[in-house]
Amino acid sequence: MAEIGTLNILGEIQYLVSDQLQVVSYKWLSRNFSVSSNEAKRILMEFVEQNGSGLEIVYTVSGWLKDSDPVYHVRLVSGVKLAEVKKKFEGNCSIQVYSVQPCIPKDPAALWNSEFVQAEELFNQPSTIDNCLRDNRFCGVSNSFVIRNVSGTSAGVPPVQSKIGGITASCRSSSAVQTPTVPQQKAKVQQSSPKIGHSPVVATPVIKSESTASGSNAQAHTNNGKVAALPATKKKPQSEKSSSGAGGSLANMWGRASVKSKPTCLPETSKTVTDSTGNLPTAEAQICASEAIDTVSSDDDDVQCVNHKRVSNGKSNRNRRVVFDFSDEDDFEDAVCLASADPPKEQSNQNSESNTKTLLVGKNNSNVEMQSVDQSNIKQETTAEREITLPSKEDEVIAVKNKTTEKPVKTPDPKVVACPKDQPTEDVCHSTKRRRVLKTRIDERGREVTEVGWEAEELQDKNSDKKDAVTETTNNRPSEAKKSPALASNAPSIPVGKAGAKKSGKGRGVKDAKQGNIMSFFKKV
Amino acid sequence: MLELRLLQGSLLKKVLESIKDLVTEANFDCSATGFSLQAMDSSHVALVALLLRSEGFEHFRCDRNISMGMKLVNMAMMLKCAGNDDIITIKADDGGDTVTFMFESPNQDKIADFEMKLMNIDSEHLGIPEAEYQAIVRMPSSEFARICKDLSTIGDTVIISVTKEGVKFSTKGDIGTANIVCRQNATVDKPEDAIIIEMKEPVSLTFALRYMNSFTKATPLANIVTISLSSELPVVVEYKIAEMGYIRFYLAPKIEEDEEDTKPGV
Repeated sequence: MAEIGTLNILGEIQYLVSDQLQVVSYKWLSRNFSVSSNEAKRILMEFVEQNGSGLEIVYTVSGWLKDSDPVYHVRLVSGVKLAEVKKKFEGNCSIQVYSVQPCIPKDPAALWNSEFVQAEELFNQPSTIDNCLRDNRFCGVSNSFVIRNVSGTSAGVPPVQSKIGGITASCRSSSAVQTPTVPQQKAKVQQSSPKIGHSPVVATPVIKSESTASGSNAQAHTNNGKVAALPATKKKPQSEKSSSGAGGSLANMWGRASVKSKPTCLPETSKTVTDSTGNLPTAEAQICASEAIDTVSSDDDDVQCVNHKRVSNGKSNRNRRVVFDFSDEDDFEDAVCLASADPPKEQSNQNSESNTKTLLVGKNNSNVEMQSVDQSNIKQETTAEREITLPSKEDEVIAVKNKTTEKPVKTPDPKVVACPKDQPTEDVCHSTKRRRVLKTRIDERGREVTEVGWEAEELQDKNSDKKDAVTETTNNRPSEAKKSPALASNAPSIPVGKAGAKKSGKGRGVKDAKQGNIMSFFKKV
Repeated sequence: MLELRLLQGSLLKKVLESIKDLVTEANFDCSATGFSLQAMDSSHVALVALLLRSEGFEHFRCDRNISMGMKLVNMAMMLKCAGNDDIITIKADDGGDTVTFMFESPNQDKIADFEMKLMNIDSEHLGIPEAEYQAIVRMPSSEFARICKDLSTIGDTVIISVTKEGVKFSTKGDIGTANIVCRQNATVDKPEDAIIIEMKEPVSLTFALRYMNSFTKATPLANIVTISLSSELPVVVEYKIAEMGYIRFYLAPKIEEDEEDTKPGV
C-alpha cells in the first residue's frame, strides 16, 4: 500500500519537476500528498536516487560547524556544492533533500513559492476543515511553548482531552522530539503509520494530541497564574484566547467580532474565511517562513524561541507568531525576507480602509458586554491582551482614526480592523432596527472619507458627526453661498437682496446650493 | 498725488468691460508696484484680481498707497468715451474724493477730462496663496470663450476634466448633453493657437457656466487664456494684459455630492 503510494508520488514528482518545471520541496510534498514531512523527505531522497540526473537538488545540511563556535547550523545547499559544504561541518551532519527542481532559481524565494501558495490555499479553507497546516500535522517539531489548552476557560478543554486519551499511543511522542537530539535521520523509522495522511480524519487527532500534550506541558509550566506565567515564557498573551479551544471560541468570536447576536455557525465560518483572506499577506507569509525555519531545523534545538500558536480554531491561525533567534545566517535570512516581503503597505491600507468599521465593533462590543457578563469578561481579556500584543498595529489604527474621526474609540480591535470584508456578515446578522448608513464627507486634507454608521443607535454621534462635517466643510469646501456673511459694505445699494436678484436674473437660483464660496478658499487679510 | 499715463488706453477699457458685469464696485489700489484691484462678485463665488504693473505705464507716479472705491459701471461708462487709440491718464489727489480720467487722442488734437466721484467701499481683501496647480491648460482665449458660450446653451454647469489626452468640457441639460474635448496641440505654427496642457494629476471639477461666460468677457485682452485647476482650489482663469499685468478670475467649484448622501443598510 505504502509502496504503491510512494510509486505514485514519485511519478507525480517526475511530472511536476520535468513537465511543470515546479519546485517540489518536501514541505509541499508533505502537504500535497498528506504524508509526514519526514516521509516526504524520504520520498524525495528516493526520487533523487532514481531520477537525480538532470535535475537540481537543494539539500538541507545540518550539523555542527567545524571552525566556529559550537552553533548548530542548518544550510540549504545546492547539489553541486554539497561536498564542499559538507566538509565544513563536523563529523556526521544530516543531509536531507529539501527540494528538487529543474534548475536552481535565481531568486531564492522561488524555492518557497509553491509552498507559499499552497499554504495560502490551505489557510483559506473554511475553519471547520482541519487541514494539515491548521493542526500542524506533519511537523517534526513540537514545542513546549505551544499552548493550546492552558486556561481552564470553559468547555473548550474536555473534548480535546478526550482526544488525548484516545490517541496518545499512536502519536509520535512529543517529548522524544523535544529532547535534544542530534540529526535525526531516524525520523524515517520513527514515522509510525504511513497511512496517516491519506485520511485526514484519522490523522487529525494524532497531531492534536501531540500539541495538546505539549500544551499540557506548558500548562505544567505556567501552572496556576496564567497571566504571571505568560511573560516568563515569552508567550504572546494571545495564546489565552486561542487556548480557549473549541467551546470557548464562540464566545471569543462574539466578544471580538461585531456580530450582535445569532450564534449560528454560518456567518462565523464565512467570516473566518474572509478574515483569513483579508489577513493573508502577513500572516501567511509569517507562517510560511516560520514553517520553513521550523521544519528545516526540525532537529535543531538551538532555535529555542520558536513559538507557535497552533489552534484548530482557524481564526486564530493568524495569530501564529514566530520569534526566532538567528544563530545562523544564510538560509534564514531568506526566510525572513519572505516573511516580511509584501505585506506592510497593504496591511496599513486595509487598516485605514476599515478603520471606520472598528467604531462599529466597539459599539457592538459594548452590546455584547451587556448581553453576558461572561463574554464580556473574555472579551476584555482578549482586548487587553491585544493591547499588549500588538501595540504597533493598534497605534496605527488609532492614528488613522484620529485623522478621520474624533469619536472616542472603545476598544480598537486590530483583528477586526484587519479584515475589511467583515461588513457583509455583519449585515446579515444585524437586527433590523438599526440602519447602516454611509456618510461621506471631506476631511481636513480634502480627502473623501466615507463613514459607516448605525442610524438609530448613533443618532447622537451622527449628529455630532454632521456638525463636524459641516464645520469642516465651511473650512475647506465652500458651502452654499448664502451661508457666508454677506458682503459687508458701506455702499448703500449692495446687500443680499441684490445678490439674490442677480442670481435669479442670470441663472437658476436652485443650483447655487451646491456652489462653493470663494471665501472658504481664501482668507481675509 | 496720483498720475498714471497709459499709452494703450484700450487696455483699460477692455479691463473694465470684462469685470463690470461681475463686480459692481471695487477698490482700485495703487502703490509703487502698480495699479491693482481685487474684488468678489456679490455672491462671493468668484473673485477677480487685476494687476497692471507700474512698468507698463508710460508715466507712473504714486506718492502714497491709495485706494479708490469706484462704481465700475460708471467707470466703464466714462471709459467708453475714450477712443480705442486714446492715451488714458488717471489722476487723483491724495485725500480727494474724485478721480479724473484724461483721454488724449493719438495726435494730441483732442483732450477730454472726465471726473468721477469716488465711493467708500469697505471691501474684504483676501489673501490668495501661491499654489501649485494639478493641471494648467493654455488655450486660445477665443476658443475657450466659444466653448463656454456653446455649453451654456445646453447646461448650467461645465465639468472641466483634464487628462493626459486633453481637456474636456462637458455639460448636461434638459435637452441633452455636450462634450467638447480639446487635445494637446503644441505643434502648430501659430503659437497663439496652441493648446498646451501641463498636468501633474488628472483633475475634474464642476463650475457654473454663467461665471465662466462672464470671465470670457476678458477675451479681447489676450489671445491666450490660462486655466489652472486643482481639486481643492478654485479654478483660475487668467488673461495676460500685454506684458504689463494680468487679470485673473477665481471661481469656486461646485460641490459635487451632497453631504447628506446616505445609503440605507441592507
